[in-house]
Amino acid sequence: MRRVSVWVGLAYLLTPSLALYQGENYKEDLRIQPLRDGRVSTTFSFVTVLEGAVPRNPTALGQPDESQHYALFPLTLGQILREYAITELHLTLNAGKWNYDNWGHPHEAGVGTGAELWAWMGASDVTTVDERWSGLRNALSGLFCASLGSLDSRRTSSPTVAFPLSGSTPPFAPHELRHASLPSENVCTENLTPFLKLLPCKSHAGLAALLNPQKVFDADWHGMGVHVIWKEGTGVELKLTLQTVFNPVRTSAGKRRDWSLQSLFDRSIERSCPVASSSSVTVILPEEKNHQITPQLPAHVDGLAIYDLSSSSNLTIPSNIAMYWPSEHSFQYPLPPLLPLTPLSVKRTIHGTTQTRGVLYVSVTNNSPHEISAGYLEMMPALLTLWMHTLKVEINSQIRSDLLSALNYHPPSPQSNGRLSPSMLQAILTIPAKSTLKISMEVNKAFLKYTEHPPDAMRGWDLPGAVFFPLPQSTDTISSSYDWERIYTPTLLVDLPTPDFSMPYNVIILSCTLMTLIFGSIFNLLTRKWVVVEIPE
Amino acid sequence: MDTPPPVLPVLVCLRLLLAVLPLPGQHLLKHDNQLSSPLTSYLRLNEGLWLLDNGIDPYMGGAFHHSPLLLSLFSTIVPPLPLIWAVSDAVGAWALLRIWRARQGLSPHKGTRSNAENLIVSVYLLNPYLLLPSLALSTSTFENTLALLALMFASEGKPSPALLAIAFTVHLAPSFILLLLPILMLLVASPASRLASSRPFHGSLKRIPFFFGKFILYWLVLVGAACTMTGGSWSWVMGSWGASLTLPDLTPNPGLWWYFFTEMFDHFRPFFLMVFSVHLVIYILPICIKFQHDPLYAAFLLVGVLGTFKAYLTLADPGLFLSMISLFPEVHGYLRHPIITTLLHLHAALLLPLQHVLWVSEGRGNANFYYAASLVMGMAGGAGLVDACWAGMRIAIGDAKAEAEEKVEGEKGKVVQWEVVQE
Repeated sequence: MRRVSVWVGLAYLLTPSLALYQGENYKEDLRIQPLRDGRVSTTFSFVTVLEGAVPRNPTALGQPDESQHYALFPLTLGQILREYAITELHLTLNAGKWNYDNWGHPHEAGVGTGAELWAWMGASDVTTVDERWSGLRNALSGLFCASLGSLDSRRTSSPTVAFPLSGSTPPFAPHELRHASLPSENVCTENLTPFLKLLPCKSHAGLAALLNPQKVFDADWHGMGVHVIWKEGTGVELKLTLQTVFNPVRTSAGKRRDWSLQSLFDRSIERSCPVASSSSVTVILPEEKNHQITPQLPAHVDGLAIYDLSSSSNLTIPSNIAMYWPSEHSFQYPLPPLLPLTPLSVKRTIHGTTQTRGVLYVSVTNNSPHEISAGYLEMMPALLTLWMHTLKVEINSQIRSDLLSALNYHPPSPQSNGRLSPSMLQAILTIPAKSTLKISMEVNKAFLKYTEHPPDAMRGWDLPGAVFFPLPQSTDTISSSYDWERIYTPTLLVDLPTPDFSMPYNVIILSCTLMTLIFGSIFNLLTRKWVVVEIPE
Repeated sequence: MDTPPPVLPVLVCLRLLLAVLPLPGQHLLKHDNQLSSPLTSYLRLNEGLWLLDNGIDPYMGGAFHHSPLLLSLFSTIVPPLPLIWAVSDAVGAWALLRIWRARQGLSPHKGTRSNAENLIVSVYLLNPYLLLPSLALSTSTFENTLALLALMFASEGKPSPALLAIAFTVHLAPSFILLLLPILMLLVASPASRLASSRPFHGSLKRIPFFFGKFILYWLVLVGAACTMTGGSWSWVMGSWGASLTLPDLTPNPGLWWYFFTEMFDHFRPFFLMVFSVHLVIYILPICIKFQHDPLYAAFLLVGVLGTFKAYLTLADPGLFLSMISLFPEVHGYLRHPIITTLLHLHAALLLPLQHVLWVSEGRGNANFYYAASLVMGMAGGAGLVDACWAGMRIAIGDAKAEAEEKVEGEKGKVVQWEVVQE
């Protein structure tokens, strides 16, 4: 009798009891896409949905929260979201420069270099949005071991048009946006480890087992993202993404672009995650048919090869998915001219050789045959003063002021901690077909105080990239998807003039000495008596 | 009517030509840190006008520090053309001339045909310290012109225009408050040269509070006008006047403040800002008391104090001091080291742009080079100021040698050398 009960108990433990996970749903997905310059882009997305959940009402922040029980949703992140009453959260930590021309649009749009954090929060009388934003930054920096605490008021702005609410808007409280980015933030293993801890199966089973830090951080571009969205019918959705762009041509011995999961990640998928309701690997097949993919699938749908890895499928888990080009000896880069894969190509530079001033050039090329209206957002830290009266828009050296409309400029404003907020420039640009639009404006570089310079002052400061975004449609048509997504320009490094860091005492001494000498001489002159003295022979 | 010295029309035409003709390096002058500071820069003036046109508060960011009166002048009445700076220069030279005529006791409209008048006008219009900032379209030209107009009206004994002019000057540049007391003294006394014969202040002290009250009234009217122009907000006070007191912008300039406060730790910043501001004010009473017999000379010395120790110094500030020396030819013989002052100024004027380019454009020097050049500039200003102070008092003693000779005439004829010193 006791043995039967033990076996029943064991069986109960071994079968996944769906009753425990009621209201939560976990899906994982890996998309692999070979790119035309021989690289391979991989996008992991791990989606956990809390069905029926609603973001916390910020007006109720003073009272104790109802208790939350999560089985699959990460408790640490859930606690942060409830503590600060966050409706929508996006955090991305990226390294590298996303090459839109050759790689197309990324599967996740947030590819700005460094750390980018933006959150929509409801306004409340209990605590202000800024206080919760500060708490959120510090909590996330502790959770992800990233220095997000330095995303303070010097780097925070509120670009509501470019970063609208992706999900539904809760009915309570008007919502406010806080957006900050830190391009100089580095991403490494210590950020990946807490990221993996947010997954139900961690890195033991399922697709997350592939994430080998040695290989992921060796990639040409890598970035991880945390996205929390509330969808009214579905609930709170947490999407953890990790995108990488590998370069098999560089790492292979014979300069071949063949890849396999083993060669990319140096790992293979041993087990599938038992709590995943769906787990799949999708390979986006290139258009030329000179490739071969193993294991062979009976049918390819829409140019995609989909391998289902979930535990409920009948197929065995493929130990290695590989694609190779048998007819190629070594990879030949496609010769220019290459048509860019995105409708807009952007470039941003600062011209000028001095450390006081320069000219900021942004050039946008429209590769498509019809006119594009794009929103342009520039969030420039107060290190650079933009001279708006010198703003020029030209095509082929011909000034076209009509192509810039709805110009909205917020100069840097002093914040409570004595620093200046970034200056925010928003405009709508109309770029004609097959032409290059150049925006230029003069800028001044700031002279910072001794204490404001970082330890490596000679390196310079990173400026976050400008963002080109599709304009929200004014009509309520069903198709709210655009044929292009947010585009980030590369970041800039600006060189500011530095004072001599060894000189505080000397400067104080010398300046005070000069002032005292003159002060003393004048007051001596003014207060002494005049006498006539005989000069002895 | 007004008979100007022959040189004045020629120089004014030349200055107008310079304003109208496009010169090769003129656009570079606008960015030069020696000729314009963040408080007077033409670039920032245009930025403020653009912000005003687009409905943004110009004083919100740290870009615009000019007075709202300038904003309203250049946005509604006349655009910021270089011609206005040329006219302002001409008015300043004319005001200097009228001060000279008032001091010499001549009629304001009819001068003598002496070379002194030619010299005064040339010294103002051709002084590179004043001409270059004017070509760089720095608003310090307007400040200098208004200060000279205030001194002119005060020398001619016209209280209302003088007080209005000084109210305008103080509104544009609050550090010119140093000139208020000498102007009040000038209004009740005469500008004639009394340096050689000092006596206690002979004007009626009772009228001074009345004039001070009038000044406060004019100043409040201007403050009200500025508030109306910026739509009722007070942000312009912190933005324009507060900039001289809190030093938000640390752009290098020939003055002594910028590097001191760049290297200062945050903990001590408020204390030293207070010390530097009080240091400027502390010169008013002693100089006005010591030179109560000649308030115009006291005003001249206080202009010298400003030209050395002002917060955002440009070359225009010592330029005003150097040009005003021409008003006091009686002290020229008593200057102890005019050559040293001249050489120090030459040294500083040549080194400042050189070290600036080396530091910021070429990256071969560092900030200390420019700081050293600004220290030389401070020494040059200090040398001129100390010398002028000495000479203004020494002239009252007279020539000791002559007295000595008279004294020993009755004796064996031994020549005794006497000298005048201070103890």
